[in-house]
Amino acid sequence: MNDCPNAEIRDQLPDLLHDRLDVSMRAAVMAHVGECVDCRSELELLRGVHGMLTAQTPRVDINYVVSALPKRAPQALRVVPRRRVWSDWRIAAAVTVLAIGGGSFAVLRQSGTTSSVTAPPPVSQANPASVDSTNGGTTRAADTVVRVADNARQTQATPTDVSMSGDEQTASAGLATTARLADLNERQLQALLDQIDQLQAVPITEPEPVTIRVRNQSSSPEGA
Amino acid sequence: MTNPARGGAGDDQRDLDLIARWKAGDERAATELVERHSAALARFAVSSGERNDIDELVQDTFVRAFNSLDGFRGESSFRTWLFTIERRLLLDRRRSEKRRRDRTELQESDSATEYDALDSVVADETQRRLHDAVAQLSPTQREVFALRVAEGLSYKEIAEAVGTTEGAARVHYHNAMRAVKEFLDE
Repeated sequence: MNDCPNAEIRDQLPDLLHDRLDVSMRAAVMAHVGECVDCRSELELLRGVHGMLTAQTPRVDINYVVSALPKRAPQALRVVPRRRVWSDWRIAAAVTVLAIGGGSFAVLRQSGTTSSVTAPPPVSQANPASVDSTNGGTTRAADTVVRVADNARQTQATPTDVSMSGDEQTASAGLATTARLADLNERQLQALLDQIDQLQAVPITEPEPVTIRVRNQSSSPEGA
Repeated sequence: MTNPARGGAGDDQRDLDLIARWKAGDERAATELVERHSAALARFAVSSGERNDIDELVQDTFVRAFNSLDGFRGESSFRTWLFTIERRLLLDRRRSEKRRRDRTELQESDSATEYDALDSVVADETQRRLHDAVAQLSPTQREVFALRVAEGLSYKEIAEAVGTTEGAARVHYHNAMRAVKEFLDE
């Protein structure tokens, strides 16, 4: 049995046997094999060896092989625990933030409420005129009276340090017990207005222009 | 020019799809992979001189492959990768057998000895002659010749499976072919 001198074609014979050639190469090899006795003999030899090896090979028990293969859990089930971990962390972080934030808000609110009850603003309690006397108008004075009345009712404050006559004290007493200006009678209103007129007004403190004078050191007699 | 649609990229893609399905939990994909490649693995084992416990060898090959599938990057075909694994198992089996029996029949100088045991299996005279012709090859020549003739692997795939170069695989094949022809001409 001789070897064909066309080594390239000989190299393709196993591929021709297994039908692994593309159309053009297959046609070329088939044309050569049709004319070349050596290649035809070699191709027959290859078929014989292939048949011999196939015939000698026992049939494999597929079920036996598959039975020993490792089982693979679905990927979706493998991913879920990781997502749950992330979810748990997020939930824990959110609960922590809410607890801390809510607690802080509650503490601040509690302290604010306590201070407003136990320590009312001294301005509105002791010297309401310091707030509202700048205008001197009736409306703002009335608002002041309402706030004074509210504060007095909440804190049960003592009468202010402003000296008052009997009517004025009556008006103040009325303020302490009544919350609305409309509830005062005419006499009480007049007393309240008189009281307001007696308060010393505190103007709005705006900075006045300041002139800074710098003395010339050289012109002083000490420097001469 | 090999045809990529047959025995090449098409089959490779099918294998990759089945592997992906098995990783997703589809056990039927594993069965199909075994059905596609078990016969070739058994053929390679027989052509390499193995005769006993072919099912166990094929099973061990698949078990190892499936346990290592996460490391399979698809650089070679799945079948070539299986041949690589099976070849290592064959070498391990031969080494342990050699130690146990204190024999050297699997060395190249005694490569034909094991094939003698197959004489009774081969009834046909022509097949017996072919069997003897292949049996007198060296183990490396036999592996390359079997992968090329029986499985239709390219020289590149054979080089990957056997652990050699593409050029060396080509030389081994042509030397084996020449040796078979000379044996048959005697």
